[in-house]
Amino acid sequence: MAGVAAAGAETMNAICDTVGIGWRPELAAGILDHHDRIDLVEVIADDFFGEQRRLRALKTLSAQVPVVLHGVGLGLASASAVETWRIERMAHLVESISPLSWSEHLAFVRADGIEIGHLAAPPRSDATVDGAAENLLRASRIVGVKPIMENIATLIEPPGSALDEASWISKILSASDCDLLLDLHNVFANGLNHGYDPKEFLRQIPAGRIRAIHIAGGKLISAPDGTQRVLDDHLHDVPDPVFDLLEEAAALSLNPLSVILERDGSYPSMESLLAEVSQARLALARGRAREAERIEVPG
Amino acid sequence: MSAKQFEAFLARLYVDADSRARFRANPLAEAKNAGLSNAESKALENIDWVGLKMASQGFANKRELRRPRSWFSSLTDRLLRLISFLSDRVRQGRGS
Repeated sequence: MAGVAAAGAETMNAICDTVGIGWRPELAAGILDHHDRIDLVEVIADDFFGEQRRLRALKTLSAQVPVVLHGVGLGLASASAVETWRIERMAHLVESISPLSWSEHLAFVRADGIEIGHLAAPPRSDATVDGAAENLLRASRIVGVKPIMENIATLIEPPGSALDEASWISKILSASDCDLLLDLHNVFANGLNHGYDPKEFLRQIPAGRIRAIHIAGGKLISAPDGTQRVLDDHLHDVPDPVFDLLEEAAALSLNPLSVILERDGSYPSMESLLAEVSQARLALARGRAREAERIEVPG
Repeated sequence: MSAKQFEAFLARLYVDADSRARFRANPLAEAKNAGLSNAESKALENIDWVGLKMASQGFANKRELRRPRSWFSSLTDRLLRLISFLSDRVRQGRGS
């Protein structure tokens, strides 16, 4: 579907990366009006669980636009086993829609009957590596397709951690043989909040596992101790450092990458969002050009 | 103490202000009361308090956001139904 507007960047990008937008009701009309400039949409899977009428509508949508499914409620990165019925719900949706891929988060969202309400970072330990790997293998078996797993943003360094974030993610991907949905704003936010270099982080994770990418914008918030931290709220434009990280990821990875622009509110005009889509294509093209240079001139 | 119990303890800290207050007042005792080992209690004693406060607020905001989400959902419903309806009409038009 990549249209005329994207043709320049596409010709520079021989690996055939794709760029799309997260499907939100407020953006639906704009996305459908400009589907020639968007390669795919990412739909939140949890919004469609057990909703037959919605499911029929989603099938219609997926017949018109390539769709990827994105789950937020499984909590697969946990020492506890995820309930089978939750995974079966995802399996049913994947079977019904036949998306290009499905993804979830490297997070836990509940424990001992307590619903946290959002994605929380578990302790980065061998126990959660083992638990996550077990959950992922079971999810892959039940759904029939492996999920692509996303790194999360966290305002708190998870206590009880024995591993750094890059090692923890790498170990889970290796143990589960799953690929990575690399959220670059989460890398940017965690880097600033917890004092590491985001570009160094990209070099520490296995580039061969990167299959998909999220880009988004957040904001600086004041902490009670007077410092500032980045909140990944998806309510702001994608900052330049995130596009720089996208270029970096494209330079490191040889895989075709599916990039999704996430926006959850304070919606700008569709033209602004499409401009960010174009910026993403250009960042990918710059990264691919660097990669080609590196391959052609070894050393 | 298992990793599962440790996650449960963390989850309680994230969602329950009273648990957080008790823990803030006496971290080691609260952790030990929950059955955590010495090492785990120590790890929690050194918790990033600022991060804990901000993360807990963030989780609370997200839980709150879920309520008005119903009208978002109904909007999604209506939009997707409209797409479905229009698509059916187009198909019917082609078929006739």
